[in-house]
Amino acid sequence: MRFLRETLDNGLEVVAECSEGSVSTSVGFFVGAGARDETAALSGVSHFLEHMTFKGTADLSADEINRRFDQMGASANAFTSEEDTVYYAAVLPTHQHDAVDLLGRMMRPALREEDFDTEKLVILEEIRMYDDQPPFGADDRCRAAFFGGHPLARSVLGSVESIEQLPVTAMRDYHRHRYAPGNLVLAASGAVDFPALVESAKRLCGDWEPGTSADRRQSSAGLPAASTTERIVRPAAALEYVIRMSAGPSADDEARWAAKMLAIVLGDDSGSRLYWELVDSGAAEHASVHHHDFLDAGLFGTQLSCDAEDAEPLMEQILDIYRTAATGGITRDEWERACNKLSSRVVLAGERPRRRLFAVGLEWAHERVYRSVADDLRIVESITLDGLHDVLARWPLDGPAATVFAGPGEASISGSATPH
Amino acid sequence: MQGQLICLMAKQTFHSATLDNGIVLLGEDLPGLESVAIAFHVPAGAVHDPVDGSGLAALSGEMMLRGAGDRSGRRIVDDLEGAGIQWSQGVTTSHASFSGGMVARQLPTALPIYADILRCPRLDADELEKARQVVLQNLTGIEDDPSHLAISSLRRLIYPAPWGMPAEGLTADVERLSIDAVRAFVAGNVQPRGTIIAVAGRIDWDDFVRRVDSLLGEWEGARSGDVATHARGPRVQHVPHDSQQTHIALAWSLPPYRDDASYEVNAALAILGGGSSSRLFTEVRERRGLCYSVSAGYHTHRDFASAVCYAGTTAARAQETLDVMLAEIARLPGSIDQAELDRVKARAKSGLVMQQESSAARAGGIARQWYHLGRVRSLDEELQRLDALSVDSIERRLADHPVADLTVVSLGSAALEVPDAVSA
Repeated sequence: MRFLRETLDNGLEVVAECSEGSVSTSVGFFVGAGARDETAALSGVSHFLEHMTFKGTADLSADEINRRFDQMGASANAFTSEEDTVYYAAVLPTHQHDAVDLLGRMMRPALREEDFDTEKLVILEEIRMYDDQPPFGADDRCRAAFFGGHPLARSVLGSVESIEQLPVTAMRDYHRHRYAPGNLVLAASGAVDFPALVESAKRLCGDWEPGTSADRRQSSAGLPAASTTERIVRPAAALEYVIRMSAGPSADDEARWAAKMLAIVLGDDSGSRLYWELVDSGAAEHASVHHHDFLDAGLFGTQLSCDAEDAEPLMEQILDIYRTAATGGITRDEWERACNKLSSRVVLAGERPRRRLFAVGLEWAHERVYRSVADDLRIVESITLDGLHDVLARWPLDGPAATVFAGPGEASISGSATPH
Repeated sequence: MQGQLICLMAKQTFHSATLDNGIVLLGEDLPGLESVAIAFHVPAGAVHDPVDGSGLAALSGEMMLRGAGDRSGRRIVDDLEGAGIQWSQGVTTSHASFSGGMVARQLPTALPIYADILRCPRLDADELEKARQVVLQNLTGIEDDPSHLAISSLRRLIYPAPWGMPAEGLTADVERLSIDAVRAFVAGNVQPRGTIIAVAGRIDWDDFVRRVDSLLGEWEGARSGDVATHARGPRVQHVPHDSQQTHIALAWSLPPYRDDASYEVNAALAILGGGSSSRLFTEVRERRGLCYSVSAGYHTHRDFASAVCYAGTTAARAQETLDVMLAEIARLPGSIDQAELDRVKARAKSGLVMQQESSAARAGGIARQWYHLGRVRSLDEELQRLDALSVDSIERRLADHPVADLTVVSLGSAALEVPDAVSA
């Protein structure tokens, strides 16, 4: 495993983790553009733009792009999050050049008005699709409540209204600013021919106008400002879905590793405290807690789904589990098991070049660091039981939180905002 | 590309063995990986559910993990997870499956735990209500998943019972299942004969066979009973559902995977709705913006198979979506072109090669192939069969297996008009 990097004159960074034994090559563009970079009027533009890059360039039609990916047998797609837009393709090594060429050209899309109008309909379908599915918008609503005035409060998809009203000119401006070379990383993993990758990058992206984006970090200290509880009523839903967000360490805090291990002990999908008390007993359909980190913020997200009448008592039970952990601590046994689980996940995920692409690309885009699988394993092995206890003390899971219930339950606590 | 493929083929090594009691062991070496994945496929799937006792296989699978040999349910999970084993358990129409992914050195820890789950599950009456609640919670959760409901309804119509029944069961049946029924089901169906154990990744085959033989070689049992096949459902059904989107699912019968025609019909379906340059994606989503997700694919049991098309779209545009899908399905025979076929081949080949990077995908894959074919196809054979596909061979198969008796399910606020020509 070798890590290689090069910076083009206009600021575009090219990074690669090369592994000789791989049978595939994964390549991707990591763009610093996400929901947090939008204004209210632009809500959803990053994700809509992600769709539009597949609709063609000045000399490639949408059909041609789709055909080319399929011709090279690529497993290609894109996703947008709060902080990133990522375009990627996994191909057999002989197609590295074709894949980089196509992705690189797509980074300068035509953004034709006619395509924009048709694709708008697809985006609106996507919004409706998610709105019909659990957790029925509770995740977006909870993030908005947790982050308040912080940019991370915004929805990735945007709303029906913001999408309907978005003009193509606003998207073109947004693209010009956020897709500047200083705000993009070209990453690759697997069987990578690095000199050829750099050559492709120079040819495709070398003449892009230099440009970069301002630091996106904003303080998230003191979030959430108050504990809030909201309710989304969906009379036809079969289960009640609850999302709860409380503060956790951010991506630039070393404690985030311990936070992830703590979440495994308390609320992993199996074998955790929440699992044994709520899921194994059949009391809840699902109960978990995971740690999520962003550039300048972090949170513990608790998810519960269960019969509507059980939702409030079970949330109380979950808070009790958190309080018990804070006062009684984590056992040595639990810590060891979580260590083994996390190590095994790191090794197994590390075998897939596609999974490595996202780790390598996002870490470089966010922190300008590279960590190999071996580095990650060393970090996991260095997490102590005391480290878990420190996280419990600094970011109490039973502390101030935004909570949203969505489902058939009655609107008894709708919109109430109570100080913790 | 050819050079790499030849190199891969040279490295590919399969193993198989059959124990005296009928258990089939399969192995594939995947050089370069640190992991091993193991899959136990036991012939205790939902087809063996009694007529008014659906969900019995699902409940039994859940119960088997709740204590086996000298381990409690909690010990089973703690011991697996303590060794970093990523485990899962599930029940399909044909099998109960137990699987695990791990770093290779943990396989000797995993095997005795899985062997106990198969050979000596406790099936304690005390665990029944909790296990039942887990199965019921899962069923309630599915009611909130409209695309799952649409496909599940479609399968009940297209396949004869019990092959089309949902493997997870039906709530009314699950509420009535007894511990005696679970014990009888496990005794009758969790059997060595018909069980397939597949392992892939960094393996030591001889050591693996020795260990499994010592753990499961003495396991005795009969064969699961034969499955009686009943009638299938009506061709058209609307499922009322309170949602903004209408979910459309279409199916027609095709030859099963073990039939020689399956390569050609699979390729035809990939041309119809397999990739982002497929006809459904192009006509329904790209040209008209009618939906976010639309696809066509092949679904197979051992003796029955079908083409399944799906789209989810706003109620007001659902009729147009259905009409465009039907038109594309009708247009398919006689219209395949070489460039489309080349793209499908490229995607299929690339997918086959990239599977070699996943021990879990290979363990599951070789177990399923054995179930369907009684053997495992090498990468070489798969690639040769793909190469042999031609426009002519596909058109011939489409002529042999025309789209007939199209089955249509719509799930949403309003029913759709299905033309007689396709519903007849």
